[in-house]
Amino acid sequence: MTPALPPIEEIWVYLAGSPLLALTLTLAAWHLGTRLYERSGRNPLVNPVAIAVAIVAGAIVAIGMPYATYFEGAQFVHFLLGTATVSLAVPIHRGLDALRGRVLPLLAALVGGGAVSIAVAIGMARLLGVDAPLVQGLWAKSVTAPIAMGVAERIGASPTLTAVYAVVTGVLGAALGRYVLDAVGCRAWWQRGAAIGIAAHGIGTSRAFNVHPDAGAWASLAMGLHGVLGAVLIPLAFGR
Amino acid sequence: MIPGLLQLLVFQGLGELLARFAVPAVPGPVLGLLLLLAWLRLGAPLGARVGAGLDEVAAAFTRHLGLLFVPAAVGVVMFLPQLREHALGIAVALVASVVATLAASAWLLRVLAPDESAAPDAGDEPGAGPPA
Repeated sequence: MTPALPPIEEIWVYLAGSPLLALTLTLAAWHLGTRLYERSGRNPLVNPVAIAVAIVAGAIVAIGMPYATYFEGAQFVHFLLGTATVSLAVPIHRGLDALRGRVLPLLAALVGGGAVSIAVAIGMARLLGVDAPLVQGLWAKSVTAPIAMGVAERIGASPTLTAVYAVVTGVLGAALGRYVLDAVGCRAWWQRGAAIGIAAHGIGTSRAFNVHPDAGAWASLAMGLHGVLGAVLIPLAFGR
Repeated sequence: MIPGLLQLLVFQGLGELLARFAVPAVPGPVLGLLLLLAWLRLGAPLGARVGAGLDEVAAAFTRHLGLLFVPAAVGVVMFLPQLREHALGIAVALVASVVATLAASAWLLRVLAPDESAAPDAGDEPGAGPPA
């Protein structure tokens, strides 16, 4: 005689209460997202983050798991965002070696591009009557998501909305980048990379690496510096 | 791999301490980034360099950065009703903002640092477009 299994509800309660389910779900969704992205020939519109978020969100809604319960389990992944932010020092360190005489133009583009990003997003959203809490999330959305979420916390905006806007911004920037850059006649690889890194952070940067190594290196430098400048300047500018 | 991760955690911790007690306006991990960057750039005489371990961990984080913001972004389920109500306004704001940011940054770089040296050929893969 085999011992009787506990009732299915009991197994379910046990699984849903441990971090195992949330972690497994998160990693499985990410794995599927990256597989689809590779399969699509790295099409920027087939973004692995967007796919993973849709799968996890659909799954927790379907099984009736509250978001707070999911996050309690997935927080181990979330915690590493801070560590990943620190690791951005490595590409910035490498990029600075290649900077040579381009410090001032890059700084001007970082501050100017960052200011335009905020002004246009906030202005447009207000003009179209978007609710204030939703607008606040737009402040940090052009900054790389791990830093953007930290900044959002500091200024009292929702880190979640900021992360979602940041992902959408990255996807749009990666998809539209070449057309906008061609339209303004920007041709040098380092300039194209830097502009993508400023506007479309990590998602744009991985796109830039696919196209040309110079563009990728400059994109990751610009992304990292935009993150640092944004973290320092956005809280000062917020609300003005 | 472990020494690299350890180094990142130590700098993250230092950054968190600095944010907690000295510079509350800046997120701790960003201060950790700046401290690590300062160490890498200024600490060469003391033996600071990007070792194989740090390089490996930093590359892994870069490759899977997207995974790390999935848990937070899933919180979008709590905002769905409001987002749906303002979907058009937010979509317009996001598209307009990213196009304006790209154009402004590229234009500033082009005007302030004219450089046609690495110009991609017309008709060749121009910038961040889909691979051929």
